[in-house]
Amino acid sequence: MKTILTIMAYELRRLVRSRSNLLNMFLLPLVLIFLLGSSLSSVMGGKAPSSIEQVRVAIVNPTNSGGSEASGMLAELLKLPELKEQLIPLETESREEAESGLRTGKYGYAVIVPPGFDEKVRSGGQAQLEFILGKDRTDNLVAGTVFDNFLDTLNYTQSAMRVLGPAVLTAAAAPGVEGDSVQLGELGKGGRSYTASQFYAVSMTVMFLLYSGLTVTISLFNEKENHTLFRLSSMPVKASQLFIGKMLGIAVITIFQGTTLIVLTNLLFGVDWGNRPLLLILFCLLIIIASLTLSVVITLFSKTGASARSVITVIIVGMTFISGGMAPLPEAWVNSAGVFTINHWALQAILKMMLHTELAQILPNLLVLSLICVALFAAAIFSYRKVGYHG
Amino acid sequence: MALVVLTDVVKRYDGKLTVDHVNMGIQEGEIFGLLGPNGAGKSTTISMICGLLKIDGGEILIDGLSVAANPLEIKKRIGLVPQDLALYDTLTAEENVTFFGKLQGLRGALLKERVAEALGFTGLADRAKHKPSTFSGGMKRRLNIACAIMHRPKLIIMDEPTVGIDPQSRNHILESVKALNKLGSTVIYTSHYMEEVAAICDRVAIMDKGHVIACGTEKELRERVAQEEKIVVKATRVTEALLEELRQHPRITRVEITGDELVLFLPSSQGGLQDILFIFAKHDGVISSLRVEEPNLETLFLSLTGRTLRD
Repeated sequence: MKTILTIMAYELRRLVRSRSNLLNMFLLPLVLIFLLGSSLSSVMGGKAPSSIEQVRVAIVNPTNSGGSEASGMLAELLKLPELKEQLIPLETESREEAESGLRTGKYGYAVIVPPGFDEKVRSGGQAQLEFILGKDRTDNLVAGTVFDNFLDTLNYTQSAMRVLGPAVLTAAAAPGVEGDSVQLGELGKGGRSYTASQFYAVSMTVMFLLYSGLTVTISLFNEKENHTLFRLSSMPVKASQLFIGKMLGIAVITIFQGTTLIVLTNLLFGVDWGNRPLLLILFCLLIIIASLTLSVVITLFSKTGASARSVITVIIVGMTFISGGMAPLPEAWVNSAGVFTINHWALQAILKMMLHTELAQILPNLLVLSLICVALFAAAIFSYRKVGYHG
Repeated sequence: MALVVLTDVVKRYDGKLTVDHVNMGIQEGEIFGLLGPNGAGKSTTISMICGLLKIDGGEILIDGLSVAANPLEIKKRIGLVPQDLALYDTLTAEENVTFFGKLQGLRGALLKERVAEALGFTGLADRAKHKPSTFSGGMKRRLNIACAIMHRPKLIIMDEPTVGIDPQSRNHILESVKALNKLGSTVIYTSHYMEEVAAICDRVAIMDKGHVIACGTEKELRERVAQEEKIVVKATRVTEALLEELRQHPRITRVEITGDELVLFLPSSQGGLQDILFIFAKHDGVISSLRVEEPNLETLFLSLTGRTLRD
């Protein structure tokens, strides 16, 4: 045990003494998280819902032009208090006035009510209004949603009446809108969403923890290339002790790296890592184990350090990309090709933790990642027994 | 008493014999030289003695223990100075020696004392806190030795420790080897520099193509080729008649001409020298210089293999 601890301590000492190694382990991921998180924040969720201004809507209702066919249904709709936050209805004499107002920006949207609108609806005809869009996309979206919803409700009632009889019409005598037609927020996601900084903090941390395997490869090949393995082999040290000592040294500094990244991204970029710190640590440990064992297999079967380093780098970068860790990929892609990567199971699990998802939804990821580790660990032992580690 | 005994040791690489039934005994307290050209099997033999390579046949005993059966126990008694520098550039000289000392089981005050002793012995005490990357080639070689001797091993194996260094560092290393031997360590010293081996070794084994082709003290080995001596004559007015008479002389086995020198081979120069001077005088040959070359290990290797050590 003393021998293993000695090898571990000196492995750590050598790693800590290497400036380039420290920069790669601690500074580079922080810089990447900052750059990717800030530059891609606009394409990801997590923004605070933006406020919208009331839309000035020109209403050209036949009653305004002196007719007796003004739409009472529309008038009732526009009186609803829920709509007052979104629309400012402005009665307008004519289509020309509405169009002119839209051009000058006086109105943001215009609705032309056809003559006999209410009568047509009551007689079972299709409810139709004419809309003239304004210059602002958001105004068009908000007003369009309100009036589309209004027409949909009327037409739905008409259809129900045809099927079920006129009694339905009585029940639906006062068409209106239940609740807001327009609501701000992440309606599609049904709750919390992660920010770009959170996403890249996880994906970069996972990727750089996986790079610990590359450190193993470099260290194992350095012992050969510097001939120190030859000297170590002439000492009363078992090859397994040497191997375990080196692994432990690299694992310790990688654990420190992971902890530092989590703490610093939280302090510097406000990354919320969720409410399950122990589970987060467990996932980080599994990533490190998977990375170390995968690299051992590749190292033992590689003839040169350069080829081993290339293979490992390609695998790590490839897995990060396929899992959607470089940039969010379509869900279908991530859930098909991505499932074959270590990153996928770790990334998705930690993102779920960040969104305070229930434990039951995270456990499958934990199970799969654990199985990957067991398989890679077995492969590493098999490779070591078959190939060995010689000078 | 023999500290190291090799009995019928065999090593094959891809079916080819690299070490071919080698038998050797190295006495406790001696400096034993292993001489041979590159590829002779010296490093393979040393690797097997250290337990770094498996033996394909035969047996190696160190201090009465079989290397194959007790590798870890054997490694505690050995200090290996590898041919290539085996140092960590990110650690200081002191840290390098301390690390290897800890792996040899040294701890605490004893470890500190031995590290200081090893660095002092190799003349690096004042550079203990410096990293090897700041050292000269000779200093790195000395640190390479310090890392192998800090645990005071019973057997020190030095595999070509003077390759590529300046004469001053070479002398320092050779003196160190003698000093270590005086302190009680048995030393196996490999080299393809004949003069180094001749200068420090008590006994020498000459290897070629996996075989030990000669083994003994330098004197014993020289006597094996003492039957033939070389007389090198630099002369002018060397006529064909003069050469013919030299060739016909019963004591001269052969005559070679290299440049402006005549090399005459005789079973022994005793009695032959006067005859040679007489023949030159008779044919009006003018001798400008003459030297008698005594046989050495190089000569021995040449006579046994027909090649030089550096071929």
